[in-house]
Amino acid sequence: MTPAIEASGITVRIGTKALIDDVTLAIAPGETVALVGPNGAGKSTLLRVLAGEIAPRTGTATLRGRALQSYPPQALALHRAVLSQHTTVAFPFTVADVVRMGAGSARGGKADALVAAALAEVDLAAFDERIITTLSGGEQQRAHFARILVQLAYGEAVHGPGLLLLDEPTASLDLRHQLDLLEATRRCRARGVTIVAVLHDLNLAALFADRIVVLDRGRIVADGSPRDILTDAMLEQVFGVASAIGRVPADGAPFVLPHAMARTQRHAAARTVTALS
Amino acid sequence: MTTAADAPVVGRRAGGWARIRHQPVLVIAVLLAVLVVVAIGAATVGAAGIPLHRLLAAAGLGAGEPDLIARDRLVLWSIRLPRIAVAAMVGALLAAAGAIMQGLFRNPLADPALVGVSSGGALAATTTIVMGDRLGWPLPFELLPVAAFLGALAATTALYRIATRESRTSAAIFLLGGLAIAALANAGIGLLIFIADDRQLRDVTFWMLGSLSGATWPKAIAIAPFPALLLIAMPLIVRGLDLLVLGESEAFHMGVEVEKLKRRSIMLVSAMTGAAVAVAGVIGFVGIVLPHLLRLMVGPGHRLLLPASVFLGAILMIGADTGARVLAAPAEVPIGILTAAIGAPFFLAILLRQRSIASL
Amino acid sequence: MTMRRGTSFVLCITALLMVVALMAPAAAGAAQGGANGHLARDTSRIVSIGGAVTEILYALGLEQRIVAVDATSHYPPQALREKRSVGYFRALSPEGVLGLNPSLILAIEGAGPKQAMTVIEAAGAGFVSVPDRFTGEGIIEKIRVIAAAAGVEQRGECLAKAVSADLDTLARLRATISEPTRALFLLSFVGERAQVAGRATAAEGIMRLAGAVNAITEFEGYKPVSDEAIIAAQPQAVLAMQREANPLDARTVFAHQAFALTPAAKRQAFMAMNGLYLLGFGPRTALAARDLATALHPTVPKTVIPSERTPPERCLG
Repeated sequence: MTPAIEASGITVRIGTKALIDDVTLAIAPGETVALVGPNGAGKSTLLRVLAGEIAPRTGTATLRGRALQSYPPQALALHRAVLSQHTTVAFPFTVADVVRMGAGSARGGKADALVAAALAEVDLAAFDERIITTLSGGEQQRAHFARILVQLAYGEAVHGPGLLLLDEPTASLDLRHQLDLLEATRRCRARGVTIVAVLHDLNLAALFADRIVVLDRGRIVADGSPRDILTDAMLEQVFGVASAIGRVPADGAPFVLPHAMARTQRHAAARTVTALS
Repeated sequence: MTTAADAPVVGRRAGGWARIRHQPVLVIAVLLAVLVVVAIGAATVGAAGIPLHRLLAAAGLGAGEPDLIARDRLVLWSIRLPRIAVAAMVGALLAAAGAIMQGLFRNPLADPALVGVSSGGALAATTTIVMGDRLGWPLPFELLPVAAFLGALAATTALYRIATRESRTSAAIFLLGGLAIAALANAGIGLLIFIADDRQLRDVTFWMLGSLSGATWPKAIAIAPFPALLLIAMPLIVRGLDLLVLGESEAFHMGVEVEKLKRRSIMLVSAMTGAAVAVAGVIGFVGIVLPHLLRLMVGPGHRLLLPASVFLGAILMIGADTGARVLAAPAEVPIGILTAAIGAPFFLAILLRQRSIASL
Repeated sequence: MTMRRGTSFVLCITALLMVVALMAPAAAGAAQGGANGHLARDTSRIVSIGGAVTEILYALGLEQRIVAVDATSHYPPQALREKRSVGYFRALSPEGVLGLNPSLILAIEGAGPKQAMTVIEAAGAGFVSVPDRFTGEGIIEKIRVIAAAAGVEQRGECLAKAVSADLDTLARLRATISEPTRALFLLSFVGERAQVAGRATAAEGIMRLAGAVNAITEFEGYKPVSDEAIIAAQPQAVLAMQREANPLDARTVFAHQAFALTPAAKRQAFMAMNGLYLLGFGPRTALAARDLATALHPTVPKTVIPSERTPPERCLG
């Protein structure tokens, strides 16, 4: 089966420093993948390559079998949607206006229906005429997620379920809304949307993803299911954290609860280097 | 589940004009009607006033005293109508250019003058006025607008080249580069002023203050292609400008070819402003104040904001020109002075009102 | 990085269209021949722009036909009292002029601003530009042009002859001057810098007619000059126009650090004369030049200019 999105031999450099070094990754349609790793591992950079924003120095990325760089932006927008960590809105648009931006050039009844459905999905139906910049950070993020949902729905009508890229989507959300957002993505998943999310929170990653890809210093160092990937050894080596991986008795999904920081020299040096990039 | 009752008190609903923005056709129709009324009003007012009932006769659509008709016709066709036409077009161009600039740079304080257009045009015009007699071939005065236009374009092109690398245009470098070019142009203008004689000095000052007194039919025809260009380009850029409000990255994610949008918008702004400056001299504040005002009234959506700017710009420029003709009759106040004198306090008033409301 | 060729092309075409649109009327005008416009058949409503133009019109007995004058038409005094004013001749408004429904507009060369003059000329209301040369022949030319435009050639010739006689007398006066005085015309002080008249100015023209020499020869027009330039010019006399507000006088001028070191300061040689009288280059210029010559060269004999004895009004018969 054609991978939904595939990257092979990707290298991205700034000057002489490689942000991503020879990364190969294939994601099947409908998969939910979490990209994790310490600061500066290249997670966001890889996501931007998958979004078509950055052209890699070497290697190719393909979306549905076609080279990513060959898609004109308007066509690409029908296949994939990106939710950034933080979006500034420069002018006082209303929430409804912003959400409607996901609908391309559709106007009138069809767009309105999509907008209403998306707002209901993120629990912002009552806020539709509010100026978006007067909302709290978390509320704004939900509004942007509604916009993404509209974009996905719009693209789905043309090309079938698309690709959803998330960059730290829960950073500004409270616990309730973090879980709400994950619920919403689960509904997308149920429709067959492929999801790739950069997550800092390993617990969330474990809860959320079918597959975790661990990046460290621009390379993939682990790739597999949460049970297989989240081990004490991996956490110590990549994150420099001495931990105990525990198990929740209910369904056996692992959770992470660090006891202390690792004390080895090697990890201290690694952390300094990655913190600088 | 959050309800409207739980909404925090500090939040703000879209203003009292909210309903208007959902009826773009109505807004445009009203503006069009106002434009027609203002134009007719402007045709009657002036140092040589033409009362309404004589206007028809002067326009050739009625009868009246032959002597009066002759005079009225002369004033109407040779002076007023070309002026109204040019004023409308210049106002429309400047206001629309301002709206596009603000969308492009995502900043409500962006002004067309920032792209170096006014500096380039002013330098070219001053050079023509001061050096025109000195060089072997006397540059015909009629070509001054063309020189100003080309100067304006040259400045923007230079600026664009400076700010663009590997097909990416940096807004920050564009704005800063604009300041540098303005400083350079001012130095050049200063030098030219220094060597200018009395008459040339007066001509230069006059041009720099902006005036529509030289409006003739050839000039009106000469700039008519630019509003036409705007009308054609508008539908192509409105959606992109709306999406650009979310940031260049986001706009790309939503399907906008960002670099192409930037390039097109910059060239459009420079052509439109260049044409306006070429024909009417330096007229400020229209590009900043009008779109800002409109954004408060009809919302920030460019699909309505741009056409509304066009009409409101035309209306206000005709009004300002009428004021320029009337306030100090028989002399004329240069229109750049009027737009600054009215625009600046207005702008301050807007800023003060907005101070308490979140995020500019 | 480079601009799309398509868009540059569009812009070039538009610029070309602008050029064509702007040049067409000028080209058409040239094809018809003569930028000075056609002679108006009807000369009953005249707008007079320029102090000398108004003077000449009154001297030709045409004051009844004048509907408006400009703000510099100070002579005769009744001109500004009785007639409407269209403002300063360098800051005209098309509507102010054309709104009077003139059948003939006589504008001194240098009337402006240029764009307003373009509109006025294009309106086809009988526009005639009157050349303004700062010589005796220039005055005669003015009279002839104005008389021809107004259709009173005979009166014009009469007036021209009278002025010619004046100028001949003046020439004989000049011939008696053995040492021309070096004079400097001071337009105003701009801060600490003096604005003076260089070559090709009315001020220099009148100095020439008065048998004097312009001490400033480095540039044309009225420009600010440095202190060294004033000292280097070594003027023996300083001229200025009379002004109501802030008049220049000998004390103020020679108190200036540069002027204080000139030969003019030693002789306290400062003269202020009425602006239009001195610089207008109209019918009274010969008299003004005689006055100036006498003031600058105290040794020349008193000369009477013919027009003083017999005023040129006799030409109105």
